[in-house]
Formats: sequence, C-alpha cells, structure tokens
Amino acid sequence: MVEARIDGKPAGIDAAVKRAAEILGAARFPVIAGLGTDVAGARASIALAERLRGAYDHLGSKRIFADLDVLRQAGQFLTTPNEARLHADVLLFVGRDLTRVWPKLLERLAPAEKPELALEPTARKIIWIDAGAVPAELNGLPLVTLDAPDLRSALALVRARVAGKPVAASGEETKKFDEIAKILNEAKFGAAIWGGETIDQLAIEMLYGLLADLNKTTRFSGFPVGAGDNSAGVVLTSGWMTGFPIRTGFGRGYPEHDPWRFDAIRLIESGETDAALWVSSYSQSTPQWEKDIPLVALVAPKTKFGREPQVVIEVGCPGVDHDGAEFARDTGSIIARAASNSSGAPLASAIIARIAEQIDGAV
Amino acid sequence: MKPFVFALKRQPDQRLDLAPLVPHLIAGKSAAEIAAIQLQTTREKLTAGDIFEIEHGDAQSIRFEGGSERFDNVGHGLKSGSIVVNGNAGKAIARFMSGGSVTVTGSVGPFAGSALSGGILEIEGDAGDFLGAPINGEMEGMSGGFIFVRGSAGERAGDRLRRGTIVIEGGAGDYPGSRMIAGTLIVLGSSGALPGYLMRRGTIVLARPPAIAPTFVDCGVHQLTFARVFARLLEPQSAGAAELLLRPLRRLAGDTAALGKGEVFFPA
Repeated sequence: MVEARIDGKPAGIDAAVKRAAEILGAARFPVIAGLGTDVAGARASIALAERLRGAYDHLGSKRIFADLDVLRQAGQFLTTPNEARLHADVLLFVGRDLTRVWPKLLERLAPAEKPELALEPTARKIIWIDAGAVPAELNGLPLVTLDAPDLRSALALVRARVAGKPVAASGEETKKFDEIAKILNEAKFGAAIWGGETIDQLAIEMLYGLLADLNKTTRFSGFPVGAGDNSAGVVLTSGWMTGFPIRTGFGRGYPEHDPWRFDAIRLIESGETDAALWVSSYSQSTPQWEKDIPLVALVAPKTKFGREPQVVIEVGCPGVDHDGAEFARDTGSIIARAASNSSGAPLASAIIARIAEQIDGAV
Repeated sequence: MKPFVFALKRQPDQRLDLAPLVPHLIAGKSAAEIAAIQLQTTREKLTAGDIFEIEHGDAQSIRFEGGSERFDNVGHGLKSGSIVVNGNAGKAIARFMSGGSVTVTGSVGPFAGSALSGGILEIEGDAGDFLGAPINGEMEGMSGGFIFVRGSAGERAGDRLRRGTIVIEGGAGDYPGSRMIAGTLIVLGSSGALPGYLMRRGTIVLARPPAIAPTFVDCGVHQLTFARVFARLLEPQSAGAAELLLRPLRRLAGDTAALGKGEVFFPA
C-alpha cells in the first residue's frame, strides 16, 4: 500500500502527483532540495529542475563543498580505500567522527593487516589527529594520537614540521609534532583519511598541502569519507548532466552554478524561492529551513515533519526496496546495488518523472 | 554633465543581474534601448525599465538611487568611470573591475571586489564573506586596486589576495587573509580566528589581533620606513589605517605551514 498524503489527509498517489505538479508548476522559482536519492532519482530531479526553471541542492552540501572547493581550487591527491588497504604502510586519520560517518571504514582498511602489495610488507603505523575515543579495532596497534584543542592549528603544525619549518610552540609540543612528522616522512606509501564535522574547508586545504609536500620525497595520497545520502553520486550525476555540481539553477533557461545563490536554505529564507520539493529516500531527514513555503516531500516511510507538507509521498530506499545505482565509498565509484529486501514501494525517480510529465514543458 | 541615474521604483522579488548596467555597455545606447535591457535571473522577465526610473546622463557617471541586497554584479568588469549605489547591493559588486570607482552607501553581500584588478571600491556599510576572494574554483582573488570597507567584513576577507590593498575599518570575521599570495590586508577593528591561515606571502596588519596560530614566528618590533611611506599613501582614504601603520608594530612571519614568506603585524 503506497502512503501518500495531501494536506495531511491520506490520498491516492495519482492525486498526490497531480497536486505536487500544481504546486511546483505554479512557483516562480522552485527549488529541489534534499536530493537524498540514487542516480536515477538525481537524473529525474535535475531534469525536473530544468523544466521548472528552478534550482537544486543536496542536504549534505556543507560537507560536499568542504571537499569539492579544495579539489577545484587547490587540487587533491585521491586514492580509494582498497588501494590504501593493499599499499599503505602509514594511515593518517583526521577527524573524530570518521567511523560514525562511515561505520565500515576500519573493516575496509584492515589496519591490523600488513599491506599486501607493499614492496616490503611491514606492520602499518597509524596516526590519528583529533581522535576522541579511539575505536577498539586499533587497540594494540602502533598508534600515535593527537588531540589538539584546535584541529586547524594542529594540521598547520604537522605540515610545518614535516617540511622542517620553524614554529612557535613549546619544546614538548614540538617533540610530539616531530614524532608525527618523522612517521609521515618515512612512509613509503601513506594514506590520509579525513572528514566529519570537525574539519572545515581550510583545514582540508592544509591537509592537502601536507600531502603535496610529502609527495616531494615519498608517496602519500588519501580520501575523504564525505557526506551520506549518495552525495558523491548526486554530484557526479549533476556533473555529467549540466557540467556543474549541485547548487545549480536554471532560472535563465541554462544551467548556472552558484554555491551561494542556490543554497536551498538561503533561497527559501530570503523569499526568493516560493515552493520546494524535498527528496530523501535514504534517511528520514527533513528540511532545515524555518520559513513556511509550499512543500512537496518524497521521503522514507515514517518521516516526521515539524510542519506537515502540502504533499507527502513515501518512496523506497535504493538498494533496499528497489535496485539502484549509487556511489560506493568502498570502491570510490558508482555501483549497481540490487534490492536487499525488494518491496513495492515507489521509486523516487518514477514519482519525479510523473510530476514532470504533468508540468508544461514550454519555457 | 549630469550623471546617468537609475532610480529604484520597487524592491525586486527576485535577484537581478546588473552586470549590463556599466558605462562601457550603456554608452551610446538610447533611453529605450537601455530600458529594454533584461536583468532577470528567473523565468519572469524584468527589464531595466521595469525596475528603474531612468534619467539619461553621462554614461561615465552612473548613480543607482535606492539599492537592494538582491542587486548582484553591480559594476561588473568596470573599466573606467564611476558608479555610486545609494543603498545596499548584493553579491559580487565590482567583480572583475579594472579601473574607475564604485561607491556603496549601504552594505553589500559576499564576494565584493572579487577578482578586482584595479580602481577603488568603497563600501560605507558592511561587506559579506569572501571580500575580494575568488569564486567557485578560480585560482586567484583580487589582483590590484583598493577596497575600503568603513563597516565590518565577514569571513575570509582577502582570501587568495594576489595584489592590491584592502582596508577594513570595522572588524573582520574568521580567517582574515586566508591563503593570501601577496598584497595587503589592514583591519582596524577586531579580527576573527586564525588570520593568515595558509598564507604564502603578503602583509596583514591587525589593530586588534586574536590569538595568532603557532605557525607564525615572532620577528620582533619594528618601525619600518616602508610603513611610513604606505601610511602617507593611505592617509587621504583612511586616516585610521595611516595611524596604525605609523605605530611600532610587532612582526610575525608565516604561515610556516605554507611558504612562510607572509607577515602579520600588530601594535607592539
């Protein structure tokens, strides 16, 4: 039984789709937000945004742009978790919530195993900056942790000491940073893993600079754990459809990318947007804006809203209720996932396509 | 000659792209042609004539009577002449300006003076984040000219500054002078966290510095001849900046995590 509601009252899916199309089609500048969906859902959403001449954004934008802006302004050395497991003799973790963001991180990296494809496989050395509580998997392994009061300054100190530059720190402090610098400089193939809420864009650029410095004398690469809700897959889909990542708008009839203007929350709070479509099929996430505007929500079952949207249609989870293509951290690429518990729940992509069919395509 | 005046009729209900309303693009156009210039950023068409009461005058001297925080790209690519906004402006005012002057009596949004390479931008109110900074993947920020902000600026003022001078007479948000390549940033009010983070070269002068990162090393107190010359240059535009530069200043060199050839000064 498909769950759909109009103004809080149970409704048939055809009526809900029709009402959604009316709301979005009447808007001057609608936004499609959330975008927690598979590749098909992202494709349908971006095509709908183009038809509506609206904009689109992802719920994980803040984390996405923390990495993406460094990638496109400074460059990054990137590897995959599998490459790191097979080659890395040094693992540099940065951030205290890495295993919360990606619970299978340590299982995938197998830090206790020797790097199989290293020329001379030896026990891995592990450094964790801003560790908080160290995961139990690392007990008994050669581990150096650093819990600095300010992660940004700590990364700057590590980078300065790796390059043998002077710093204004006490002898005791400098000794600790020198110990870390020595391990990094002696790595044959190191891998840095970063992410979570405690590392911001400039700190990531500092970390990238550290990797660039290390690559003058050895090999060092890394990967971000990134954001959830298929954020990387949606960014890639947006890239091949429009040439731009998320936060792109079609207001003038062609895609324009502007991370400031097309921030969904800013668009809505400023009154520039007058209706929104929220898509969240992986999690029961709800919109983060305060302003009350007409809202159509395609969401996971049992999602709780502070304010009932005009239209709610419950959709299935890709890879669980239905087959789906999405970005997989394990391989660093888009993969096809078969449904693990196939159900009749509708696909977000199918609902969005049906909404689009009912909107006049003439622009 | 009297200035060319765009008087705001009503606040726009969408963001507008005012990049076409600069001297070199309106010079030689009739009143009707200018009134027909499209400024909309959504599917609802809005022309200059819909938004403004237009008073024909000298295209080298443009005045906006009444502003809006939805006015984006005011003075985009200005080469010469002057633009005055009597009110607020939105994103990226004076972006890619290479000469002339832009003056705003109110406050402006983010990316003011982005990639500015010449001329003078003066903001009498506050500026948003990323003053003078590059946009979306560009490699360099401001590369010449002057920006004066009489109020405060947001985060990352002078990000990737390449050349030129920014004076903020109020306070600055976090990371002032982040990733600076060269040029000068002066802040007369209080500054947010970690000035000069990732700076390679360039000069930051802070009247009221926060704690400085440990990758900046002390070089002692100086009264540099160049600071006196520079103070004389800035005196007509900012007496406060001139006064700060004439004081004995402590010099810290950094960011030693990056190239380390930059400097942060503050009163000794």
